[in-house]
Formats: sequence, structure tokens, C-alpha cells
Amino acid sequence: MSYRIGVDVGGTFTDCVMEETTSGRRWVHKIPSTPGSPEKAIIAGIRALLGLAEAKAAAVGFVGHGSTVATNALIERKGARTAVVTTRGFRDLLELGRQRRPSLYDLQADKPAPLARRRHRWEVAERLRADGSVERPLDDECVTDVLGALAAEGIEAVAVCFLHSYANPAHEREVAERIRRALPGVFVTASSDLVQEFREYERLTTAVVNASLGPRTGRYLTALESGLVEEGLSCAPFILHSNGGLMTLSQADRAPVNMLASGPSAGVVGATALARAAGDPDSISLDMGGTSTDVCLIQAGRPSVVSQREIEGYPVKCATVDVHSVGAGGGSIAWLDSGGALRIGPQSAGAVPGPACYGQGGDRPTVTDANLVLGRLDSSRRLADTIRIDPDRAEHAIRMHIAEPKGIAVEEAALGIAALVETHLVRAMRLISVERGYDPRAFTLVAFGGAGPMHAVPVAWALAMPRVMIPPYPGLLCAEGVLATEMRIDVSHTQRSLLGEIGAGALKAEFQALFEAARARLTASGVDVGGLQARWMADVRYHGQNYEITVDVPEGPTSTDIKRDLRAAFDREHRRLYGYANLERDLEIVTSRVGVTVPVGAARGGRLGERASSRRVEPVSRRRMIWENGTETCPVYRRADMKAGAEITGPAVVEQMDATTVLPPGSRARTDSFGNLIVEPE
Amino acid sequence: METRGRKSDWITHEVIAHFLLSAVEEMGVTLVRAAYSPNIKERRDCSTAIFDAGGETVALAAHIPIHLGSMLGLVREVLARFPLETLRPGDMFLANDPFGGGGSHLNDLSLVAPVFWEGAGVAFVANIAHHSDVGGRVPGSESCDATSIYQEGLRIPPVRMVAERAIDGNLLALLQANSRVPDERVGDLRAQVAANLAGERRIEELLRRYGAALVGESMRAILEYTDRRTRAAIRGIPNGTYRHDDAMDDDGIGVSPVPVGAIVTVGDESIHVDLSPCAPQTAGAKNASITATLATVYYVMKAVLDPELPPNAGYYRAVTVDAPRGSVMNAQPPAAVGARIISCQKLAEVLLGAFAQAVPERVIAESHGVSLGVFSGERPGTRDLFVDYEAFGGGAGARATKDGLDGIMVHATNTSNLPIEVFESEYPLMIDRYELYPDSGGPGRFRGGLGIRRDVRLLTDADFTGFVTSFRRVPVGRDGGRPGKPGRYVLIRGGREVVYDSSTIAGQRLRKGDTISLRTAGGGGYGVPEARARELLEADLDEGRVTPEGARRDYTHDAGQRQGGQT
Repeated sequence: MSYRIGVDVGGTFTDCVMEETTSGRRWVHKIPSTPGSPEKAIIAGIRALLGLAEAKAAAVGFVGHGSTVATNALIERKGARTAVVTTRGFRDLLELGRQRRPSLYDLQADKPAPLARRRHRWEVAERLRADGSVERPLDDECVTDVLGALAAEGIEAVAVCFLHSYANPAHEREVAERIRRALPGVFVTASSDLVQEFREYERLTTAVVNASLGPRTGRYLTALESGLVEEGLSCAPFILHSNGGLMTLSQADRAPVNMLASGPSAGVVGATALARAAGDPDSISLDMGGTSTDVCLIQAGRPSVVSQREIEGYPVKCATVDVHSVGAGGGSIAWLDSGGALRIGPQSAGAVPGPACYGQGGDRPTVTDANLVLGRLDSSRRLADTIRIDPDRAEHAIRMHIAEPKGIAVEEAALGIAALVETHLVRAMRLISVERGYDPRAFTLVAFGGAGPMHAVPVAWALAMPRVMIPPYPGLLCAEGVLATEMRIDVSHTQRSLLGEIGAGALKAEFQALFEAARARLTASGVDVGGLQARWMADVRYHGQNYEITVDVPEGPTSTDIKRDLRAAFDREHRRLYGYANLERDLEIVTSRVGVTVPVGAARGGRLGERASSRRVEPVSRRRMIWENGTETCPVYRRADMKAGAEITGPAVVEQMDATTVLPPGSRARTDSFGNLIVEPE
Repeated sequence: METRGRKSDWITHEVIAHFLLSAVEEMGVTLVRAAYSPNIKERRDCSTAIFDAGGETVALAAHIPIHLGSMLGLVREVLARFPLETLRPGDMFLANDPFGGGGSHLNDLSLVAPVFWEGAGVAFVANIAHHSDVGGRVPGSESCDATSIYQEGLRIPPVRMVAERAIDGNLLALLQANSRVPDERVGDLRAQVAANLAGERRIEELLRRYGAALVGESMRAILEYTDRRTRAAIRGIPNGTYRHDDAMDDDGIGVSPVPVGAIVTVGDESIHVDLSPCAPQTAGAKNASITATLATVYYVMKAVLDPELPPNAGYYRAVTVDAPRGSVMNAQPPAAVGARIISCQKLAEVLLGAFAQAVPERVIAESHGVSLGVFSGERPGTRDLFVDYEAFGGGAGARATKDGLDGIMVHATNTSNLPIEVFESEYPLMIDRYELYPDSGGPGRFRGGLGIRRDVRLLTDADFTGFVTSFRRVPVGRDGGRPGKPGRYVLIRGGREVVYDSSTIAGQRLRKGDTISLRTAGGGGYGVPEARARELLEADLDEGRVTPEGARRDYTHDAGQRQGGQT
């Protein structure tokens, strides 16, 4: 027997899933997270799973997890005492940024605090030109002075970032190496080790974020590794990279900036695997929790990945699953603004005090309260065996804060809250699909998280999406995602050249060099590179244009006519995005990219669910539900009764431990052979 | 099933309002992504809008506030030349004329398109983008010392650039022939077309779902809602008449100072702005057309009343503006208006100064204004022309409860800088310093933001045109706060620094190896410097934002042997 374990560490709960590799049998366990030292919940969860399956730790062949450790450290500003070493004349780059103000109209708004104080930003004499040639050599004495200052100030982490280091990293490397030698306990990042792309501010912030996280994530990774060893696990553990692939702990240790989207990307890879197994390579994932909702576009079985994101106000350049987040979740508070318009969030009642219906001191109406008033949530349910839901409190909160001031009925106000939260979700989904040139009508919506299945169907209909997929365990999809993914490394390099001037050989050589670099990095971390697959991409623009589009170069260095392929790919993509292509104009290749993936163990697809004996399913109860067109007594089904092949029609709800699926009038649902609930228009 | 009537309209209005905002943002995203020039692409000097059939703005994604004004008269001006019944689906109209083309200076090219539904024009979409060169006397087209609009480039009244989806190639050729960087013009205009097409598609989608009647009703409701909210905010400001007078340094040619003043009357639910204290229009290019003036007034209203007010014409209703024709804030042709951002920034300060008498806690001290630098010449070894056009931030005024922002864009503008690594790979220029300027922030209980210092070295002979604001009239503090340091341009040649004795430099020929060093002004302080908390002052010293000498001079603080990190 051999087992694989996937873990998702969330803010409130740590979810664990274990799969036996030959039978595909699964065990699940959910325990409260331990935010102070997240590894404790992970280890406790694994121990519980092994107990459930009566398995030995030595039989575990794979452990992977998604973690919010890095994100939380950034949000809570708990980074290390961080310094910047940069080119003379530029120590304020970190604060000047792009010189735009944080809010166009709010005179009281502030910029996010710089992660390295001005006092801790040192300049050294050196200068490179745009082509990487040396304008002024590195001044040794200057570096020596900085080393002394770093030690005197008790610096824990250093980001080294020089202008044009993407074209020539020599100065950065030399300084980083000298710091490492002189101050062995200090975490050092050279910007060009993370990003070999131009645009200095974004490269600098990436290096600074990385450095400030380094010491803290290092302690976490060490604690996790030794904890797992003590538990008797002998396999090398993995952590989910922001790009949706896996990385080893040593890779994460050097580049913790890559862990920033580790949590959200787990759900996306889970949705990707689920939809791909069910034959839907094109889908949109919708992960709706208590305070926010993440959406991501998945095309041709691959989540869309961007090379830059803004996190907590800091631009970060690293391959990241393109998750768009909105501050609307089940706990989001509904309120009326000074003009009398209904607003939802971004304030959330959170877990404490929670929605008004929890009766724990929250008296402002939330999305959950509206769902309760509308009969979509079961008022007789208890949460975690202790909290009794009180529909009167929900009704009272909506009446006091929304219905009475607006002079409308409570039900109408509740319908308004539901409609508005769905509008926020639609807007988020439009942003990642329509606004990027993708037609949502060709995509399946995969909805999960505690509140996702509640609002998914109206959201899908609003975008004319043909199908909604609700996984068997909507609350556990993130942990399952970790089991379904593979190792992935992205490397890139800015070297500008005109397609009309560069030779095919030189272009191929550039890709080949990147590929070798990626493979070397994998080998160095002890990974078996058999089964390695590469994806070739380039950031290209029309000569004279000032922004690039990333396009696939399908065969990379093995292409028989790489220049023609690149030209065709770019013109096609430009036309798709902007409606025109400029065939006469030369192309400028700005940055080359290679993403390599290696499977880790046997990633399985979905499992076949149990077949139903007949299509008919009996409801477990009926209750009054309020819809836009009127009120009706509707059936309530139990998810466990929805075996493969079962079919029901809306209006109805399907209940299970971790989620409630709402089927509005005009929808019907069936269970597919993998146990997913598939909702389509009637 | 018990039945209920149509879903409550107020919810539909909310849903449609969100949809329109998302559509107008999508137009902006399309424009920025598809554009060619750094000015739109990296610096985002562009905005997008959706109008109702009557030309009222119902949704706006203004990246910079002064574009609010260009959007104001735009549809009206188009309809004045091209009556509604002559418009066809797929038409788009180009304009830039500040006097009859909805623009505020010639660099801003607006493109507006009607949206049709079932044969009727039901809405308009438009976008505006700053083109880095539209001809005229100087590269970049903007110069403070221009004396008529005819020196500022090609003047375009509303003209049909796209007829039933076909772009007029003759017109493009004409535009190209009048720009120093012609290729950029075509790329940027195509991006502007793409942005309008995106907006048109979204509105059609909305109409398909809700029908023209309900969408029209929603558009009206959106404006009424904003109007209600604006009036509610005005009720929070004490009634009264508040006057503030100030002046611009000069008119760009030599006359100085140029008075700018405002009398703001706050009623129960309305505000009237009287600009009669402003000087007559000037000979130089710092004049503002009425569109630019209105944009600035609306910017200040939103900032003071309620920064979250939805960006649409609904909040213009409670505000009336009276600017005498022929004054610097309502210039008439053929006045030059290229540098209208300078008068608009000053007007913003004047209005904030008036509101400071009513709601001092909401208003910040005076800020740096804005500075501009344009380098142009030939790339070495070629005959290719380059034009680098960039505006710079400085110190923002201190707030009633905290320091001002350092090195930032304020008020009517908010463009990005060009990344240094992009700048140096595009132009034969090198940047030797880009940093905060210590001691430039106005001393006070809360310190004004710091200005910036930026040194650009020429790798080839080139021309330089630029201006700084707060050259003589420095940003003043409030409530006893002291002024920030003035703005300066300095020429460094052969190791010697020569400070320019004017706020304006026009078309100066520079040599390879010369350095142009800009020092932008710091913001004014808030409250008396003696009241500054000791720990804030020490943190400033520690961080090197205030030097030990500065602390002694401005705060009578003896810092002793303190070492502020690296100096």
C-alpha cells in the first residue's frame, strides 16, 4: 500500500486528503488551523489521516501542501528587518515607485509602508548601461562600507537590486556573495536571481518582498520538515508554488515570494483537474469563502498564469496563477450608503462575531443572513454543533439596516443582497474572461468553497455560461488540488531583439539556454527529470509598441521555422485581444520564457462515483423559498443521495456537510460519473 | 407559485450601474494594453467614458482627473456638427480642440462613438488619450511660452475618423504628417478605436438583456442617485462664503504673478464657484479652457465632499461655476492652453484654500503642482527623431493628522513615470539620480511631502523644454505650517551647477554630457513646527528626510551627532 497526502492550510481550517495510490480510495480530515505555527495542524492532520486508514507513515510516498504563511506574514507586516542595496542615486526607488498616488480623490489615503526603511537602503557606486555593458565598475570599498553598516544595524535580510541587472547580473551576484560570506546568518536575495526582466521598480519590490519573507518562511519550512521526519515520513515534502505547480521546500526557502499565492492556487489546480477529468478543459473556477471570492480562468486544461501581480500594494514579478479576488463572501456585510444605494462588503463579519443569524453579537446583515431569509439555507442547522442559527435575528438585521430605510419588504431586501453579491461575482468573472478576450459562453463554471455553490448558478446564467460543476466535496477541493498537480518551474530573460534581425538559430539558442537553466534547477533540488515537459513562451510586441503580450511558441527550439511560428502566434493573439493585427510591422521580442513541468508520483484524475439505481431522487424535506418571481415551497435534497445518474430540477437546494447548492427556477442538475453535480438550464 | 411583479427596479439599477462601470473599465484596459506610446501604455495618460443619449456622463474611468473636463462637452460638440440623425453605427469622431472640440489641450485626442439599438442612438462611448506630439512649435507640443494655440499643434474640430467601421486613411495620413513621431499616432489611434469597440459591445450586451427603456431609466436613476449623494455631502459643509486668492508664478513669458482666486459659496444643498478674482487670459500657454476649469472644480468637489462619489454627471448638478469669459480660467481663442495643467493645479489649491476655511480637517496644505521635462533630438548615428515627454511628482501638502505624501502626483493629474530601464533603452539619455529631496517638505506639526531630485544626462546633443511649478510662490502650509521648498531646474555642465532663473525653459539646445537636474517642490506643512512630536522629528532625522541642519533651522532641534543611515 502507498499513500499520497494533500493539505490546504487556510485561515480557519487545515484540510487534509489522503489517497491510496492503487485503489484511489480517499480519507479526509479537517482540523482548526494553528496560525502561530501552521506546521502543527499539518502534522496533526496527517497523523489523524494515518489513524483513519490504519496506515504507516513510511507508506506515504507524497506530501504536498498549499500555505498562506507567506501571505499572512506580508499582510500582518511581520517581515524581517530588511535592507536594500542598490545603485548610487536610486535608494528611494522603493518609495517613489511609479509616482502615482494611492487614491485619485481621497486626500487622506496613504501608500503601503515600504518594506525597507529609508535608513536601511544603501547605495553603492556601480552602473550598467541598458545593454548590460559596464558604465562604472563596482566600487569594492563602497561594498565594504555597506557590509559594516548591515552588521551594525542588525539587518536580517537584504535585497540587492542594481539597474539593468537583467542584462548583466554580475554586480548583483558579486555583492550578494560578499554579503553572504561576511554575514552568514543574513538572508540575501539578488533581484536577478528571481527575475531577469526589465522594469526596475517591479523587480526591486519582488526582491524586497522576497527578502523580507525569507527568515520567517525559512523557520516555518525547517519546522515543517523536521516535524514530518519526527512523524516518520520519509518522502520529500512539497509546497504549492504561486504558479499552481509544486516546488521543493529548498526551492521555497530560497524564493519564498513564490509562495504568496500558494493558497488560492490550490483551489484552481483542484478545479482544473476536476474539470479536465470530466472532459471540460475550458472552465472558470469560483472559490467563494466567508470574506472574499477568488476566480480564475482555465483554458485548454491549464490555469491562466501571469508573470506579475500586485500583492498588498506591492508589485511582485513571479509566475502566478491569475486569480482575481473580490471582497465579497458569505460573511460580507450589506449596507446603505449616503445616497441610499445598497452596498456589499468589503467589510465582513468574519467568523467572529459572524453573521447576525449566528447570534454571537453580530447585528449587521450579511449575505448569509439574506440566504437564510430567502430559505436557501436551512434554519434548523447547527454550525460546528454549537452555533444555532436564528432566522429571526437575520430578518431583524435586514429589516433594521436595509428594508425599513428603503421602505421595502424584508424579502425584497434579501433578494437585493443576493442579486448584488452575484453582480460583484459576475464583474470579477467578466474581468478575467471577456476583458481578456475570452467568451465565457464556452466555459464551465466550477464552483466551490463554503458559499460558492450557493451563488454559482445565477452567476453562470448572467454570463450565459452553459454549465456549472459542483465538486463532490466543495469544501475540500483545495487539498485535493495539491494531489492533482505537478512540479513546475518558470524561468525568463529579457533580451530585446527584432524578429526581422535575429537569426532563427540565436532565437532557438535563447530558449534552449533557459530550458537548460530550468532543468539544472530541478536537478539541483534532487528531482528526477524524466517525464519533463516544456512550454515555450515569449513576451512580444510590435516594434514601437510599449507593452508586450505573452504568446506560446509551440515547439520552441525544436520548431522547424520558429520565426514564422512566433509571427503567426503573435498576430493571432493581438487580433484576438484588440481586433486587429499589423502584418507589415516588425516584431520585437522582449522576454523569453520557459515553463517546465515534471509529474510527481501518479496524479490521478477524478474517481468514478457510485451509480444511482434510478434517476429519481426523493427530497428529504421541503421548505419555503423566495425567488425573484415569487415564493414557493421547494424540495431539499441530500447530496449523499445524488448518486451518479441522479437528476433533479429547480427550484430546489442540495445540502451537504460543507456546502449548500442552490438551484433556482429554470435549472436542472444531475450527478456525473465522477460524482460532480452538473447544473444546466432547463 | 405566488407571483411577484418585475424584480425591484432599484436592484436592476444597481446591477446596470455596476455593469456600466465594468464596461468603462474594460475600455480603459483595452486602450492601455493596445496603445503604442509609453505615454499611454506606461504612464496611463488616458481615460474612458460612457454617456447617455443626451451626452451626460453616466460612467467614467478617469485615470487622471483633468480628463473629466474633456469628456464634458465632447458629445455636445460632436452633435453640434453631426446631428444625431446623420450618425451611423460604426461611426467614430475625433476631436482635440479646447475651443469647440471638447478638449482641454491639443495633445488630448478624444474619440467618440454612438451606440445604436434597434435603429436609434441610445448612448455614446468615448476615450481620450494624450498623444506625445501633435506638431506645433516644440517637440511634445506643450510649451509655456507659446502665445497662441496655432503654435501648439494641429487643431481638430470634431471630424468623422471612422465611417461605418472604416477608418479614414486620409485623415490618418494628415495626422501622421503633423507629428514628430508619426508611427505612434497610428498605433495609439487604433488602440482608441479598439477601446470604443469594446465599450460598444458591452453596451449592446446590456441592451440585449434589459432593453433600451430600462437601460435608459437606469442611467437616469444613476445620475439622480449621485445627485442625492452629492447634496447629502454638501449638507455636511457649513454654509457660507469662502474666498481664497493666490497666483501663478508667471504667465510663461515674463509677466508675473498671474492672480488666480475663487469665491466659493456653500448653500444647503448646492455650491457656487465664482472665479471672477482670476486674471485675464495671459499671453503664454498657462490658460485653461472652460472644460479644464470645470474638470478641476469637479475634482476638488469629489475630494472634499466624498471621494467615493460615483464618477458621473450626477455630481455636477449641485455645483455651478461662473468663470468670466476671457479670463485665465475661461480662455478664448486663439489663447495658447498647452500648459493648462499649471493653472488647473493652482485652481485646485485655491479651491482647497477656500474649503480650508469651512472644513480644515478635510483639506491638505498646498502641494508642489506639477513639473514637466521634454527631451528631443536625433538618435546618435541615425536621423530618427525621439521625443521623451514626462511629468514629475513632488511633495504633497501635509494633512491635519499626518504628514504629506513624498514624491507623488497630485490633484488634476496622476500620470506614472517611465521605468528607468525602459527610458534608458528607448532614448540616448541616462538617469544619474532619482531620489527624495531632503528638507524640501514644509516644516510643521505634520510635515509636507518631500520633492524629488532627478538628474538626466545627455548621451547626445538634444533640445530640452520644461517647466517647474512653485518656482517663486512656494506651497504654503496651513494652520501655522511652513511652506515647502521651491521647484527648480538646474543645468550641470562640466561639474558646474547653473540654476535656471525661470520656471520655464523652452527649446534649449544642450550638449552631450550635460545634465538637467530637476528638484520639484515640497508640500506645505500643517500646524506649527514647534508642535511636531519629538519622535516624528527624530524618525525624519533617522531616515534622512530631514537633515540635522534642517532640523536646527526649521525645528530649532539640535540633532547632535546623529547619523541618518547613509548620506
